[in-house]
Amino acid sequence: MLKKRIIFTLLYNSGFFMLSRNFRLQKVGDISWLRDNYNFSNVSSSIDELIVLDISREKRDINIFRECLKEIVASCFIPVSSGGGIGSVDQAKLLLRSGADKVVINSQVFLRPELVFELAREFGQQCIVASVDTKRDSENNFHVYIDNGTNLLDLKLNEYLTNLSKLPIGELYLNSMDKDGTGQGYDLDLLKEVPDSFKCPIIISGGAGNFNHFVDALAHERVNAVATAHLFNFVGDGLSVSRNRVLDLGFNLARFSSF
Amino acid sequence: MIKKEVLIIDYGMGNIWSVANALNYVGAKVVVSSDPDLIVNARKLILPGVGSFRRAMEVLREKSLDQAIVEAVLKKGSDILGICLGMQLMGTAGSEDGETIGLSLIPERVDKFSELELNHRKIPHIGFNQVNSSEESKLFSDIPSESDFYFVHSYRILPNNLNGAVSLCNYGVNFVAGYENGNIFAAQFHPEKSQGNGLRLISNYMHLNA
Repeated sequence: MLKKRIIFTLLYNSGFFMLSRNFRLQKVGDISWLRDNYNFSNVSSSIDELIVLDISREKRDINIFRECLKEIVASCFIPVSSGGGIGSVDQAKLLLRSGADKVVINSQVFLRPELVFELAREFGQQCIVASVDTKRDSENNFHVYIDNGTNLLDLKLNEYLTNLSKLPIGELYLNSMDKDGTGQGYDLDLLKEVPDSFKCPIIISGGAGNFNHFVDALAHERVNAVATAHLFNFVGDGLSVSRNRVLDLGFNLARFSSF
Repeated sequence: MIKKEVLIIDYGMGNIWSVANALNYVGAKVVVSSDPDLIVNARKLILPGVGSFRRAMEVLREKSLDQAIVEAVLKKGSDILGICLGMQLMGTAGSEDGETIGLSLIPERVDKFSELELNHRKIPHIGFNQVNSSEESKLFSDIPSESDFYFVHSYRILPNNLNGAVSLCNYGVNFVAGYENGNIFAAQFHPEKSQGNGLRLISNYMHLNA
């Protein structure tokens, strides 16, 4: 039986790894900080997947980012998705040749949907993770933002997802800007906005503070994976303890062996 | 001890880096090449791949790598391990993006999971899933049956009466997760992405006939 997944997301901004709260960024440390505080060969045995996103607010340098990516994944034998500002097949290829298995695209899905078709033709649909950032308005309607959460689209989430379901994507990374970094739990109401026509696996993101939040989301039938980008909530052995607790509750997660 | 050497076929598609990384980890000496002469003369090959069947076969043909692979495997008896799309390319034909002839090292075709098979399951089939392996399998030596491996694919090879379907996975339908027949090996999952179990399998491939 196909297992559900726990995913760890790293947010990279011009050389530093960041904590994000409602999309406001706080610098945590560079790659050597990450090395000292997250032993990835250990951490990776507690997660099903790693996502590394370049969310640089200034100009992006994909070559420096790639070097970071390579170092992070060198001791990880798990699936890795990466993205941030990918605007061409060649840029996607650079990440795929630096340890990524899948590419994450967000703003370009809206701005240049033809790029999604180009990427699918070149790498296959399974290689594309469409990331969607969403936020409630005062009447609790969900709206979609692009460009690192700075530009509001004139489309509600369910309309956006209906459009998205016509594109050749492999997975949806659905991120709540309201819950982002708060540690208050996932916004499971988001899932009501996913149309029935939407067939691909769903990763929910934004708000995980402890293992109970994983449990709440993993129990939802539409959720295939839970993601957290919080560098402190699960620091140290936080991820392995959380994973074991979720497993102890009988959730259908993969069991890993050491080599 | 002399490191065992393996050649990863580089045709511009796929997660070469991750595969090489895992091979290095288990102590292999890794050569990455798109040179048909080197491929014909390599004793151990890995055909990785992420992408579309049609595009991949076009690239293999453009670079004359298809002939080099078939010659190495069928004439020279070199070992080959196809991973994910690499496994699929070893089939007789694929229907992704239109009908395309494959390398025909595995006598079965590759098609998309049908709606009937899926029965409302989502595709791609992404994530860790249990693999039931036969005890005789060399690839799965020392790996318990029902271990979890990482899959990401929408197309599959059905076991039918396929000789060499040594391990199966179920996603609405039983499909071939691992294939081995003589010197021809293949995995639909990504061993290089399957934590300790995957590293064990890669190590087993490197130590065949040792």
